[in-house]
Amino acid sequence: MTTMTLGIRRGLIEQNAILRDRKELGTNIAGLIMYLMLILWIGRNPAGGGVGMTAFMTVGFVAFTVFSAGIMTLPMLIAADREEGALLRLRMLPRGIPVYITGRAVSLTLHIAVHSALMLAIGGAIGGLTLPSSLYGWATLVWVLVLGALSVIPLGAMIGAMLPTAKAAAAAVGLPSMLLMIASGVMVPMTMMPTPVQWAAQIFPLYWQGHGLRAAFFASPGGELHGTWELGTAATVMGAWAVAGMVLAPWLLRRVTGK
Amino acid sequence: MDTVINVRGLRMSYGERQVLRGIDLDLRRGETVALLGPNGAGKTTTIEILQGLRTRAAGEVRVLGEDPARGGDAWRARLGTVLQDWRDHPRWHVRTLLDHVAAHYPTPWDTGELLKTLGLDGHATARVRDLSGGQRRRLDVALGIVGRPELLFLDEPTTGFDPEARREFHELIESLDTTVLLTTHDLAEAERLADRVAVLLDGRIAVFGTPQEVAAAVQAPSLVRWRDGTEQTDDPSELAWRLHQRYGGPVPELEIRRPSLEESYLNLVERSAA
Repeated sequence: MTTMTLGIRRGLIEQNAILRDRKELGTNIAGLIMYLMLILWIGRNPAGGGVGMTAFMTVGFVAFTVFSAGIMTLPMLIAADREEGALLRLRMLPRGIPVYITGRAVSLTLHIAVHSALMLAIGGAIGGLTLPSSLYGWATLVWVLVLGALSVIPLGAMIGAMLPTAKAAAAAVGLPSMLLMIASGVMVPMTMMPTPVQWAAQIFPLYWQGHGLRAAFFASPGGELHGTWELGTAATVMGAWAVAGMVLAPWLLRRVTGK
Repeated sequence: MDTVINVRGLRMSYGERQVLRGIDLDLRRGETVALLGPNGAGKTTTIEILQGLRTRAAGEVRVLGEDPARGGDAWRARLGTVLQDWRDHPRWHVRTLLDHVAAHYPTPWDTGELLKTLGLDGHATARVRDLSGGQRRRLDVALGIVGRPELLFLDEPTTGFDPEARREFHELIESLDTTVLLTTHDLAEAERLADRVAVLLDGRIAVFGTPQEVAAAVQAPSLVRWRDGTEQTDDPSELAWRLHQRYGGPVPELEIRRPSLEESYLNLVERSAA
């Protein structure tokens, strides 16, 4: 079997095992439940720019799904794999490490796809959210999703490799991610936030992930912070995080492992 | 002679601390060698270097004819490892995990047959974390040997076993037709499984040979007991001969107990600490 086939198969088995796991179920659907409760609670309000809160939060939660998959789910999975010995076992298998990396990429992509699809379906049914109708909209959707994922995955892999246990990883990234989620316009439009919070949030990729996705789904930028689509800035900020992560992660990992 | 592991002058240090100070070690094809030594003597470091997981400071190392530091996938496919305390892939099913690991190797065992051999065929669809300790250990062995390794590393494989599980494990290892390098703290286990024993003390191999040769090299005293006395001696045959002369015939209730591997080993460790 080729390394690629083996890695894809590994990712499918892994994701299937996580989906069927009762212990993982709680962590897995916590985001979905929060999303559902919020849209049932305040979904009928307008979010600005002619967009309803349900549609706004659906897109925001899709952005957060990508962000948290890279910055929370990935480090916890990697830390657990190291803690339990899976990484060591794979290091001792021929082709084990490329198979592991491929497998993780596949399982993470599936995780993002399943959660996003569920939320988009709910948002469509309740909030009238429709998929992009133009090729331009679809192209925006695709590059924002990909670049958004790339902006957090190297960072997440680094956190996972450095922290000793899955619990430590969860503790380290849990609170900052939640704060960033509140500050970055996932649940409430950024226009409602104090100015310092607005500035701080714009440093991080999560806000721009949401902004880019809204550009793909919504017609009018009326509800945005500066009243206009800023896709160039979105690409720059997310791209900078991606490049910084890709440069820093191997360097830091070499320093930490010291071998 | 066909050697599977060939080590000359292996050195390793962590910062200022020298862990291995020039190790020589040879394993012949098909033999089982136990690597003994107190905690911190460098057993795990030695194994990790042989597996290519750690870079040595100096020395010649050949494992299956290759330098482990440069061993590629084809080389790695000829090795197998069973470590202590593995808890990986808890959510996977037994058969799925074994099939997945087997698929990394060019000529693996039939996984169904292997599960049957290890008495795990009734648990093929069980989740790995639902296995008992003994079953989990047998699965680890299955995962370690599924690629038909020419060389198998066992790092303290029976720690935490009950006596029955330990015996089953020993029988299983004895039935394998492969070269085995084993580390253990259980000297009875080493005596039972190993053709030869190497004792690692202070980063050097203090003795290397059959359990009898180790006892001879250490010169741990034998215990000679007869109706009228008891004596500890390094040369029990000589004492027996003198006793025969004294009694002018058979010595009543004569009993000679050679030192066990454990006694030789402890003797050696105590002497090196003194």
